[in-house]
Amino acid sequence: MNGAAVVAAIRRPAETRWLPLAALWAVLLAVPLWLPLVGGYTALAGRVLVLGLAAIGFNLLLGFTGVMSFGHAAYFGLGAYGAGLTLRYLAASTPLAMLLGTLLGGVAGTLFGLLIARRRGVYFAMVTIAFGQVCYYIAYSWNDLTGGFDGLRGFRRAPIGLGPLVLDIAGDGPAFYYFLLGVFAAAVALMGLLLRSPLGHSFIAIRENERRARFLGIPVERHIWLSFSISCGFTALAGSLYALLNNFADPLGLHYSLSGEIVIMTVMGGMRTFWGPLLGAAVFVVLQDYISSMTTNWMSFIGLLFVVVVLFFPRGLLGFLPRRGAR
Amino acid sequence: MLQVILYNVTNGLIIGAFYVLMALGLSLILNLSNVINFAHGNFLALGGYFAFVLTPFVGFWGALLISPLLAGLLGFVVERLLIRRVYRRDPVYSLLLTFGLAFIIQDACRYIWGPNGLPLGIPDALSRPLSPALFFITWYRVFMVAIVIVAVAGLFAFLRHTRVGLRIRAGTLDLETVSTLGVNVRLLRSINFGVGSLLAGLSGVLAAGQIGLNPNMGDDLLMPSFIAIIVGGVGSLTGTLLGGLLIGLAGALTTVVYPAASEAVIYVIMAVVLLIRPRGLLGEEGMMT
Amino acid sequence: MSFLEVDAVAKSFGSLVALRGVSLSVQPGELRAVIGPNGAGKTTFFNLISGFFAPSAGTIRFNGRDVTRLPAYRRVSLGMARTFQVTEVFPELSVLENVLIAVEVAAGYRLRPWLGRSARAALRGRVDEILALAGLGQKADRLVGELAHGDQRAAEIAMALALRPRLLLLDEPTAGMGDQETYEITRLIRRLHRDAKLTIVLIEHDMRVIFHLADRISVLDQGRLLAEGTPAEIAANEAVQAAYLGKAA
Repeated sequence: MNGAAVVAAIRRPAETRWLPLAALWAVLLAVPLWLPLVGGYTALAGRVLVLGLAAIGFNLLLGFTGVMSFGHAAYFGLGAYGAGLTLRYLAASTPLAMLLGTLLGGVAGTLFGLLIARRRGVYFAMVTIAFGQVCYYIAYSWNDLTGGFDGLRGFRRAPIGLGPLVLDIAGDGPAFYYFLLGVFAAAVALMGLLLRSPLGHSFIAIRENERRARFLGIPVERHIWLSFSISCGFTALAGSLYALLNNFADPLGLHYSLSGEIVIMTVMGGMRTFWGPLLGAAVFVVLQDYISSMTTNWMSFIGLLFVVVVLFFPRGLLGFLPRRGAR
Repeated sequence: MLQVILYNVTNGLIIGAFYVLMALGLSLILNLSNVINFAHGNFLALGGYFAFVLTPFVGFWGALLISPLLAGLLGFVVERLLIRRVYRRDPVYSLLLTFGLAFIIQDACRYIWGPNGLPLGIPDALSRPLSPALFFITWYRVFMVAIVIVAVAGLFAFLRHTRVGLRIRAGTLDLETVSTLGVNVRLLRSINFGVGSLLAGLSGVLAAGQIGLNPNMGDDLLMPSFIAIIVGGVGSLTGTLLGGLLIGLAGALTTVVYPAASEAVIYVIMAVVLLIRPRGLLGEEGMMT
Repeated sequence: MSFLEVDAVAKSFGSLVALRGVSLSVQPGELRAVIGPNGAGKTTFFNLISGFFAPSAGTIRFNGRDVTRLPAYRRVSLGMARTFQVTEVFPELSVLENVLIAVEVAAGYRLRPWLGRSARAALRGRVDEILALAGLGQKADRLVGELAHGDQRAAEIAMALALRPRLLLLDEPTAGMGDQETYEITRLIRRLHRDAKLTIVLIEHDMRVIFHLADRISVLDQGRLLAEGTPAEIAANEAVQAAYLGKAA
């Protein structure tokens, strides 16, 4: 699907661009084959998928509802802790860990969203940052439960039993990557469908023109709240996958630095496009991996990346594709 | 016991003073330019490092005077070169820009001055305790509070009695009208950003004299400053002043009773304010958008 | 029983008094024009009716129901639709998408996270119907932001119509239009009034449009209702001439 085709994401153009989409999935499916050839490792691809999912989830809010949260790391981190704590203290069940992690982040976002749905712009951003820091603070001070600043260890993702079949995702082989890819695909499909539905259209309407949306009969605050909650839920799902990927959860997964990184991935890829955040995540993860292996001053380069994207590529990598509808 | 309480209360006052100074600078920039300056804590660090470099040449007092001005000048230049390019765009871009700047400045400090803590020498007279009975309170602590009070008073006087200050205040309320009155809004915003950075730089010099220097010394102050603004009410400088004092004192008093919760109480105050009075103590209804 | 019954509404913003107790009642099927010099409070009056903000005093009843404090989106679901003086549309979406969103809300689907094939087709049919009515059939796939001013106004009216309104509030529908565009919009409004029997309240400056369309005219001046009557009565009213027509001429 062409990025711009989802700018509106309202109806499928007669000539749905299936070719780029098929190519994308082919590339993703073949990762274990080609990634080692170019010097990558599968866990890196896992990171891309997970952060890409977080960013696509975040972009439901930023790019498709037009509301800026700068604290989405909170829900990502809560998802990670939810999954980690489940595996460590409750049961060695990967699906349960994902479910509880997603619920923890999603419910926290839903409750917090109630407080702030009337706020807008910079104020909204500031309050979301502050709430993110509350979660960060809790995670590193509640030492007994979370392991404090050192992070939560002592859990491992468990194989998934499906009747007689066992999905062995505990190892480091491609099985876990494909598991991640499966979850990613399902989540992305859900979000894609959502954006084609009336509910998704109401979000886009709010982004386009809040006043018009209100006078079409859309209760704007309530729909922003819904969008925020859904967005937090998907980001939390990504966070729970992150805990599974690393067998580890730490407070930095809640820190506003990660929030900023999620935002930059989204903007760099193209916040008005559906797939942009995934591309942004891929570029960011690979760059960060590469730069931090080359120099200790990687922070400068990441900072410079922020500045360059903002000043010179504000529409993002996919934002430069030709628009649909301009015929 | 009394000493512990006194110690904590003075600590709280000092921390509150820092929150106020940081938050006022942030608030100035936020109110006039609608930019959340993530790099504000890094301007604080730069102020401290400038003082570190200058002290051997001009002494502590000279550094105290010059370093904040340098930080302010740098803020002015950064605004001219970078920040102003994103005013007309979605606020997400200004956030990302200052976020990136924060990374760059922090890394630059680490590169130039090293990752480890550095001391900033202060005059002997200031490092002495107040009295044998109050051995735990140095004159420097009193001095810090006094300087902050002077700086805040100076800022409010500047905003009330100078032409530029009046224009900044008017621009905060209604930028469009101010610009139609022929005020050079672009210059006004640059100056305003400079003044905000100057306040951060001043905090940096003061903080460095107490706790020394390190590249991320501003980070711990950034979040409480945000909260001071939220609690005080976006759009109101007086509110920010109140908010900073409130969370500083609340944190200090909590330290007396239950030290582990001293940071938590700041967040609790924010939550209470958001629940009960979402626009903040002195925030205007129209200012919260 | 009037369809829209506005009773002594007042509105002040701080020390500025915009409306000082205006009453007005509109019968079903009526086309009412609200006129008055700039700053008379016309748009404030519209904002009160449509729920943009609540009045400082007075009540508003719509179809027998007190809606004075009802939020805007609830008034929409009761059958009130409005357009704005400065066109409010979704500029980066196509004409079709603009109308589709309105149709979806009107169908009660706004919370649906998915939609079946048949429901989708039904909505699509409704969209085509409205586009044809508003004369935008040819431009369905164009982005609204790229259309000419007159077509953008038409798109906004089309969105309002998609809500199946019982009362249509039009704020200066011909503002900024050339003669040809004004004619087109006027024809559309008349069609809605005569054929679809829609109750319409409109604010307008163009006297040709007003006298061509209106059943009755209400004149506002300095936040008060100055006069009300048929176009002929208003044209003959001396107070109106002094306050408004005189100044305009």
